Amino acid sequence: MNLAIDYDCCTGCGACALVCPGQVLALDDEGRPFERYPDDCWYCGCCQADCPAGCIEILFPYLIR
Amino acid sequence: MAEAKIKETDFLIIGGGPAGLAAAIRARELEPRLSVTVLEKAEISRSGAAGRGMDALNNVVVPGVATVEEYLEAVAAISDGTLEPTVSRVIGERSFGVLKKLEAWGCHFPRGADGGYIVSQFHPKGRFMVEMRGELKKIIAAKALEMGVEVVNRHPVLELLKGREKIGGALALDLAAGRPAAFVAPAVLLAAGGAARIGLSNTGYLHGTFDCPWCNGEAQRMGYRAGAVLTGFEYTGQSSMTRDYNGAGQSTFIRHGAHLVNAAGQRFMERYAPELMERAPSGIRMRAMREEELAGRGPVAFTFGHLPEETIALIESAIFEVERPTMRQYFASKGIDLRRDPVEVVMTEVYLCGGHGLAGLVGDGWGRTKVPGLFAAGDCLANPYGFLAGAMAMGEAAAERVAGSSLALPAGLDPAGRLAGLEEEFRRHRQGALRVPVREFEYKYRRLVNEFVAPPKSGPKLERFLHETEAMVRDQEDLPAPDPHTLMKVYEAKAGLFCARMAALASLFRTESRFGLYHQRIDFPEKDDRRWATRVMLEAGPEGPLVYREAEGRPV
Repeated sequence: MNLAIDYDCCTGCGACALVCPGQVLALDDEGRPFERYPDDCWYCGCCQADCPAGCIEILFPYLIR
Repeated sequence: MAEAKIKETDFLIIGGGPAGLAAAIRARELEPRLSVTVLEKAEISRSGAAGRGMDALNNVVVPGVATVEEYLEAVAAISDGTLEPTVSRVIGERSFGVLKKLEAWGCHFPRGADGGYIVSQFHPKGRFMVEMRGELKKIIAAKALEMGVEVVNRHPVLELLKGREKIGGALALDLAAGRPAAFVAPAVLLAAGGAARIGLSNTGYLHGTFDCPWCNGEAQRMGYRAGAVLTGFEYTGQSSMTRDYNGAGQSTFIRHGAHLVNAAGQRFMERYAPELMERAPSGIRMRAMREEELAGRGPVAFTFGHLPEETIALIESAIFEVERPTMRQYFASKGIDLRRDPVEVVMTEVYLCGGHGLAGLVGDGWGRTKVPGLFAAGDCLANPYGFLAGAMAMGEAAAERVAGSSLALPAGLDPAGRLAGLEEEFRRHRQGALRVPVREFEYKYRRLVNEFVAPPKSGPKLERFLHETEAMVRDQEDLPAPDPHTLMKVYEAKAGLFCARMAALASLFRTESRFGLYHQRIDFPEKDDRRWATRVMLEAGPEGPLVYREAEGRPV
């Protein structure tokens, strides 16, 4: 996984999934974002930058850490 | 099943990056009655290589700082004797206009102590890189929407529609619906980026590439299949990038005066390019890095300790605020402080890019390809080291040509028939008789690129690649794709394999060494200007690809 999503602060607005250039993120049945295609992440940080509540943090995958 | 969509528009733009959006905006500026549709694979406010902004508008001829002729000299040096200058001249002439537009739209160009733009040197000659900050992509996207451009997000384009001798639109995959959709148009601009996933990355992740991984040569493949010409595919680019992260930095570091040193702390470029040093063409720099490693003097790194604090702060704002800002987190996690620590760099995987290198579709000064009605701009167009300003300049040029011409659909267009054909392809992928995940397929062609196409090259290795991948070209039609996202990945893999094979063909054809590391042939180690100071062209022929020297023209 590439992202730490703080679900306590997430409002389910969907901005992260809307902008993700790799279509990595999707919303589950309850409208919460999750990494549907984690392998396609470039850790560009668009989701982090565009989350209005600041609930997303990039976690670099293990090979890059 | 619902009927597949067929939509009509005047000007269809494939790819909502800076090139595509600049074209869309310009077309609407000139001709407000023109319907302009942008098909975007992702979402235009963040899509493509410039999604998180850029730290510089590279390649601007700022009046009083440089001239168009100097710009052409710089690009000619990088092109190593093969430059066909038409496109580069247009970029040089239009580049400052692009800057002024971006500034008017709200992009931030920081000013130096003298009150002017901060323009620095990255090229072998001349200063063309203008410091830029801010949310570039959001600004351009908002402008496009304000201008009444129709944007269709989450629609990767898979093939072009052609009537008799002329372009007539494109077929896309509607990711939400999982169905193909047809867009009929008398003018089409390909602006879908470079080809990032060619060689296998040392990050260990298929999408952990240097260039934007969601652009994989789809425009180049579609254009070629429609009859357009490709060039520069033997220029298999690599960059020197921060170890593991593979993020941008090279141009930022070099233009602000960082030193490239070996393990002994020596500025080793003294040995390879004593006059240009770090600003030598990147192929020369990559070859120098390779030589240092082979001589046991690696690893190599950029150092910054000699730079004044204000320059370090400028570098940090460039790499931490725009382009790949997660670099800040990466440096923090590794405890790197530029004032104190070197930044170790490694060579990235092989990629093919028309704006970052030489590999792309051939276009004239308007970005017109050989196919009437079909244009190209941005990283899919061969616009040697045109970068961002080049992408937008050529997008604008194409739009001006389209807006000024009479638009008519070609005869013999059959969107419904082609949609049915694509539906059939999708069905085959849903069945997926190959039973091999697309990720494995992609890993294989990219591993083969590393083994047989990446420099140093040789005839037998390149032939081996073409032979080994022949079966993969057949196999790709049966790759399984249970959902629309995977289907998109299948077409990206097809495009990547296509581009890799074009790179092997062009590399095999050019029986000399040129472009530093990028086309280093072990079996032809010398540069031969008498025969090879020209571009290598690739074009679909009746029995497969035609490869020829531009100077001699297409074989009859």
